[in-house]
Amino acid sequence: MSGGLPSDLQPELVNAPGLLGALARALSGVHAMVMRLSMLALIAACIVLATSVFLRYFLKVPTDWQDEVSVFLLVGATFMSAGFVQERRGHIGIEAVASLLPPSINKLREYFCDLGSFAFCLFFTWKSWTLCYEAWNEGQTTSSSWAPSLVIPYGLMSVGMTLLTLQLLIQCVAIFFGPQTQSGETK
Amino acid sequence: MTIGEIGILYGAGTLALMFTGMPIAFALGLIAVVFMFGFMPPSSLDTVTQNVYEEMASITLLSIPLFILKGAAIGRSRAGADLYSAIHAWLNKVPGGLGIANVFACALFAAMAGSSPATCSAIGAAGIPEMRARGYSPGFAAGIIAAGGTLGILLPPSITMILYSVAAQISLGKLFLAGIIPGVLLVVLFCIYTAWKFTREYAAAKQAFDATGKASAYLDTQTYTFAQKTSMLPRVVPFVTLLLGVMVALYGGFATPSETAGLGAILALGLVAVVYGLWRPKDLAPIIEVTLKESTMLMFIIGMSLLYSYVMSYLQISQSAAQWIVALQLSKWMLLVTILLLVVVLGFFLPPVSIILMTAPILLPPLKAAGFDLIWFGIVMTIVMEMGLIHPPVGLNIFVIRNVAPDIPLGKVIYGVLPFVGLMMIAILILCLFPQLATGLPDLVFGAAV
Repeated sequence: MSGGLPSDLQPELVNAPGLLGALARALSGVHAMVMRLSMLALIAACIVLATSVFLRYFLKVPTDWQDEVSVFLLVGATFMSAGFVQERRGHIGIEAVASLLPPSINKLREYFCDLGSFAFCLFFTWKSWTLCYEAWNEGQTTSSSWAPSLVIPYGLMSVGMTLLTLQLLIQCVAIFFGPQTQSGETK
Repeated sequence: MTIGEIGILYGAGTLALMFTGMPIAFALGLIAVVFMFGFMPPSSLDTVTQNVYEEMASITLLSIPLFILKGAAIGRSRAGADLYSAIHAWLNKVPGGLGIANVFACALFAAMAGSSPATCSAIGAAGIPEMRARGYSPGFAAGIIAAGGTLGILLPPSITMILYSVAAQISLGKLFLAGIIPGVLLVVLFCIYTAWKFTREYAAAKQAFDATGKASAYLDTQTYTFAQKTSMLPRVVPFVTLLLGVMVALYGGFATPSETAGLGAILALGLVAVVYGLWRPKDLAPIIEVTLKESTMLMFIIGMSLLYSYVMSYLQISQSAAQWIVALQLSKWMLLVTILLLVVVLGFFLPPVSIILMTAPILLPPLKAAGFDLIWFGIVMTIVMEMGLIHPPVGLNIFVIRNVAPDIPLGKVIYGVLPFVGLMMIAILILCLFPQLATGLPDLVFGAAV
C-alpha cells in the first residue's frame, strides 16, 4: 500500500502544453480557490465546536445547531477538497503491482485505474446532483429542531464531486494525449 | 447464485480491483456500485449518495479531520524535538535513558498528535541522530522510534479507535479509556527491552574498549545541571497541559468527543502560535492544507468502506460469513487467533480504516457470540494493526524511518523492529490473560456493562 500522504506532492499536468495544459491550469486554479475555502471551513468547524463547549457548559446556552453546522462545514471541506487531492494523486491505492509490470502493461493499468475511478465518480456526481435537486424540489431539511435545508450539504457534495470528476477526466485524457516523460511514462 | 458465491465474487472482485492500484476509496465504491447494479433492486442505485452522506455526516467520524489538524499543528512545530530533549535530560542517569526518553517522547507525542507516522517523523528526526551519535546501533535506534510511533493508534485520541467505535457501535469514550493501560503496558515493555538492549550494547562497547582501546560514543557520559533541566520545561509543559486538558474536557463531562477534537485543534494551533511563533497565514496554511489532504483521503476511504459494508449486509454476505464462522465451532481462543491472523494478513495491503469497516460486520458477531468483550477486542485488534505498521511487507512506520534516516539500510531497520513486534505479541498475550487491563478503566469510570 502506498501509505501516508507526502506533503510536497505537486500537481500533474499544469505545465503541459496546449489545450490540455490550459484546462489543467484552469482547473488547478479552481482547486486552489476551493481549497482555501475548505481550509476556512475546517477552522470554522473547530471554532464552532470549541465555542459550543463554553456556551453550553458555562453560559448554559442550548447548542442545538453547532453539531449540524460543523457537519456541514466538515462534509463540505471533505468533498470540496477531493479534486485538489486527486490533482496531486493523494487518494492512496495499492501500488505493489505497478513496479512489477513492464511499462506498456503498466500504462494500461494506469488507464484502467483512472477510467474506473472516473466512471465511479461520474456516477456518484450524477446521483449527488439528483439528490440535491430532490432536496431542493421537496424542501428537504434535517430532522433536528433547527432544521436547515439539506440542499447545503448535498450541494457541496455535488460541486465537490463534479470537480473531482473533472480532474479525473483530465487525467484520463492525459494518459493518451499528455506529455511523455523520458522513461516513456505519461506524466 | 448462492449468497456464498456472490460473497466470494465480491471479495475476489474487490481484491482484483485494489491490486490494479486504483485508489482504495474509488475501488471500494466501484465494486459496491457494480454489485448493486447486478444483484440489488435498481432503486438501490438511487440511494448510493444518500447512504454515503448519511454515514459520513456522523459528528463522531467528522472529528477525525479535527484530530488530524491537532496532530498536524503539533507535528509541524518543534514540539517533538523539544519534548524529546526535555525527557532525555531528565532521564539522563537511567541506564538506556536516551532510548527510554525516545519511547516516552513517542508515547506523549502520539497521545497529543494521534498519528503514528507523524510521531515517527517528529521524534525520529531528532532522536535517531542523537541515539546514533551516542553509539546506539542503527537498527536499535530505528526500532525504538518505529515501535514508539505505533503508540499513536492505541493512545487516545486514535483515529483507528474512532472508526472501531462506529463499526462496533460502542462508546468512543470507553474505548479511548480502554487503550490507556495497554498503551502504558506497551511503553513499559518497550522501556524494559530498551534498557536491556542498552546494557548489552554498552557492555559490548566497553569490552571492545578494554580489548582494543577503541573508544565508543556509548562510553561517553553527558550530564545536565538542574538549571538546564528546568530550562527545558517551559516549551514542553504547555503541550502536556493541552494533552491533560483535552482528557479532562472529555472525561469530566465538559465536552463530547467531537467538541474535544475541535477544542484540541484550536488550542494546539494557539500553542504553536504562542510557543513557536507559527501564527502568520503562511505558517498556518501548510498545516491546514496537509490536514485536509490526509483527512479527505481518509474520509473518502471511510465513506466508501461504509457503502461497501452496506452492500455486503444487504446481500446477506456479512451475515452468512458470520454464520459460517460460528458454524466452524472453533474454540473461543482458536476463533480469536484465526481472526487476528486474518487482520494481520489484511494489514499486508489494506490500511486500518478499511480493515475495520470492511470486516467488522463479519467478525464482530462471532466474537460477541463467543463471549468476547468488544471493547477488549478493539484494543487487541488495534495492537495487531500497530504490529502491521512496523512489520514487513507494508510497515508504514518503517518507510517513515527510511525518510528520516535514509542511510540506515532497510534490513537493519527491519531487524531492529522485530523485537518490538515480539513485545507487542507479549502484550496481546498479557491482555488475553488479564482482560481487565483493557476493560477495567472504562468499567471504573463509566460503570461495568450489565
